[in-house]
Amino acid sequence: MKQLLAAAACAVVLLTVRTAAHHSFAAEYDANQPVTVSGTVTKIDWTNPHIHFYVDVKAASGAVTAWKFEGYPPNMLVRQGWKRDVTLKPGDVVTVYGWKAREDPALGAAREITFADGHKMTAGPPAGTGGR
Amino acid sequence: MTIVTKTRAAVAGLIVAILVTAATSAQKPASKIPRMPDGKPDLSGVWITGALQLLIGEDEARKIQQADRAAGRTLPPSEPPPYNAEGEKQRQYFLSRRGIDDPMARCFISGVPRITTRPLPFQIIQMKDQVLILYEAHHAFRIVPTDGRKHPDDLEPSFLGDSVGRWEGDTLVVDVVGFNTKTWLAGVGTVHSEKLHVVERYTRDSADTVRYDVTMEDPEFFTKPWHEHEIFRLRPNERLREYECIENNEDLLRFEKLLQTDPTLQTK
Repeated sequence: MKQLLAAAACAVVLLTVRTAAHHSFAAEYDANQPVTVSGTVTKIDWTNPHIHFYVDVKAASGAVTAWKFEGYPPNMLVRQGWKRDVTLKPGDVVTVYGWKAREDPALGAAREITFADGHKMTAGPPAGTGGR
Repeated sequence: MTIVTKTRAAVAGLIVAILVTAATSAQKPASKIPRMPDGKPDLSGVWITGALQLLIGEDEARKIQQADRAAGRTLPPSEPPPYNAEGEKQRQYFLSRRGIDDPMARCFISGVPRITTRPLPFQIIQMKDQVLILYEAHHAFRIVPTDGRKHPDDLEPSFLGDSVGRWEGDTLVVDVVGFNTKTWLAGVGTVHSEKLHVVERYTRDSADTVRYDVTMEDPEFFTKPWHEHEIFRLRPNERLREYECIENNEDLLRFEKLLQTDPTLQTK
């Protein structure tokens, strides 16, 4: 039990200290500002060190906001089952869960995408990774 | 001896027996590990370590954690960096800036040991008198001679330093010096000086794991050596892919904007 507790404590410390894949989450994003938006995917940039995808989100008023989300790089996504041009395509209707950027009001760090048929895909790291 | 005393003695004996068994199994020499023609353990293969859930997803990472528990594989508790006053002052400064200064975010090659503990695979190719380590991150590589040579005397400070290896029994010991100061060692603000001296120990402790023990010494910033420990997992069906960090690093532009507008980042 003691060993388990020590291992758990160790895991927590490791998680908080060095899980960044590229940059500190807190540098750009606010873990206290989760965001969930639904809309239509318009574009995907399949690039390093992050993919970006764009989602047109329509408000009740009819106004459309073009949200931009950051995700894992391609090499990490393909290892979790993603395929370029197949998993996420322009025209897909999705719900994106993530966290808001500190600066840009329509920028977010994507954590999970829910597709129209209900299936979900991990898109990026959990909040708070990378040192803070 | 009363029954109570006898029972206590029996329970104490049982506990000792369990502890001894646990300790023995922890120290049991690795069996059935691949070996080179010269008898040294063969470290070759594609390995992953660090925050596995980021790389392979939470379900897959959980299976590995369960296998660890079943095998009784544990690591020593994590140590805080043993900074002196100046080192801690610098670390706190970078923490207060939320890690925005992380060299990794600028696509600089991570140093040692961070290049290894990042959640990106690396491939070890072991040869008779050298060991090559190829990292998916930044296309980085290290050539570790194991033919008895010393560090060269014309070293220029570099991101990955200069590595020389030797075998101590079944453990590959890699001595690394000659670092520049443009890398962090682990998490945010883990700065070091050019006097950083890293000793890595690679022990293939099972067919599909390597135990990785690192000691970092820095007379300018540390009050004592700093130790890190990891377990490498063999991924037989994995291959190194590409991670070209500078392709579209928008973070730099966002950082510039934040540095101008975010009051918490105005301190210098």
